[in-house]
Amino acid sequence: MSKPDTPDPAHAVAITGTGVVCSIANNVAELGTALQRGESGICQYDDPDSPSVTLAATLRDFSWSDTLEPFLVGWPEMARRARKVLNNNTPSTRLSACSAVQAYRQANLGDGSRAIDDTGLIVAGSNVDQAFIAQNCQRFRDAGHWINPKYAIAYNDSNQLGSLSEILALRGPGCTLGAASASGNAAIYNAVQWIRSGLIRRCLVVGACTRFSALELEAFALLGAASSSGRHTDPTKVCRPFDMDHDGFVWGEASASLVLESADSAMERRAARLGGVVGCSLLLDGHHLPDPSVEGELRAMRRALQAAKVSPQQIGYVNAHGTSSPLGDRTECEALKTLFGHQPATPPINSTKSLVGHCMSAAGVLEVISTLIQMNNGFVHPNLNLERPVEPALHFAGAQSAALDADYALSNGFGFGGINSTLVIRKGGKP
Amino acid sequence: MKPSKQDVFDIVKKNTLQVLIDVDPDAVTIDTSLTDLGANSIDRVEVVMYSMESLGINIPRTELHGVRNIRELVDLLHSHCA
Repeated sequence: MSKPDTPDPAHAVAITGTGVVCSIANNVAELGTALQRGESGICQYDDPDSPSVTLAATLRDFSWSDTLEPFLVGWPEMARRARKVLNNNTPSTRLSACSAVQAYRQANLGDGSRAIDDTGLIVAGSNVDQAFIAQNCQRFRDAGHWINPKYAIAYNDSNQLGSLSEILALRGPGCTLGAASASGNAAIYNAVQWIRSGLIRRCLVVGACTRFSALELEAFALLGAASSSGRHTDPTKVCRPFDMDHDGFVWGEASASLVLESADSAMERRAARLGGVVGCSLLLDGHHLPDPSVEGELRAMRRALQAAKVSPQQIGYVNAHGTSSPLGDRTECEALKTLFGHQPATPPINSTKSLVGHCMSAAGVLEVISTLIQMNNGFVHPNLNLERPVEPALHFAGAQSAALDADYALSNGFGFGGINSTLVIRKGGKP
Repeated sequence: MKPSKQDVFDIVKKNTLQVLIDVDPDAVTIDTSLTDLGANSIDRVEVVMYSMESLGINIPRTELHGVRNIRELVDLLHSHCA
């Protein structure tokens, strides 16, 4: 007999903390405003080493220390550790700290003065700071010596685990977890299993910022996965999930974090529930290529719904994977049409990537936060640049924000190599 | 032009303060050691590496093993400057 992923929806895993930094927001409140307005973070990207990619949703005029500071007020010990650990650390680790501290603070996990043993830490993503590695390789090639003394520690993604666990004094189980573009969803999936099994009461999931070097950008352009056609001159028009004119993903920089918590723990601590994960799935297609599969994506959505004991009719909103890649968008449309096919109207669908680009390792976590903001505030954000939908039978969000009344949502994350994951998210305020 | 020992000390001090961000600048004197200032093994490698880079020199690791304080570090770095 197969065991459901989250056997009892009455005991859904609660979400009690959120944190984000991305191209349109340095915290969750700013993200809410930017989503409602439908702001695009995509702009010109100039790196002579990656001439094929001229656009990205990068962080601009960003200071990690200024972003972190307001969330460390009143916590001198943690602030001191953060300064020390993040000094000469990798840019991606600094961004992880920015989102993780926000989530930690909102969840009210402590002030960092005492070690926490019953809270896990999962950093979503693999090969997250290729830009750091490329920069150090270049320096090594040019000089032959003067290697960054921290390189042996910092090149490895696991550096993020140690860095965050030191800053936040987290002493429970921890690991990094990679599943390509589905890394965020996969990390949440794993955290839910750890909490459901009783191993831990809470888990901080940190979607790390994927920082590409020129090599990754050119390689994605070579495959036709990254937008590189130069078809649109206005940077904000290039990322067009589900539009006939889509031509590939636009890379976005972001880190996003969630605190997941058992229902019992949230109740005991009287922690505010921002929402919950009621069901989830993580399934492989049995191949290693960037070939999305309707059957595989459908299987992931159905498995998550089955685990949640929620029917497709109860789903009031879909945060699609929707990268703006032609094959990926069409495949997800087919899967969604099959899932919701017999309903008179499908729930509203949008892709947060139309605003912030594809944030890779952080995407799944950021999109859960986007889903919660929308459900809890009763709006669905615009699906930017969707002028001629590739699938007329689906109900896509329009050019402006609209009212939303949804108790349950799906959040999809699909990765290269046939990795399919769906989360069923419940809105906040419910036990 | 070959830097003076004071120039080399100034470079070591600047890099020490960059690595050990909580240290009082006045505490970094020629007679202290990096360990006394709270440096761990990686902090020490960082200070030495950044100082070598600033001076444009490369000293074999074996020669660095015996260094016990900032004075000896400054002397060693200075002896390798052209």
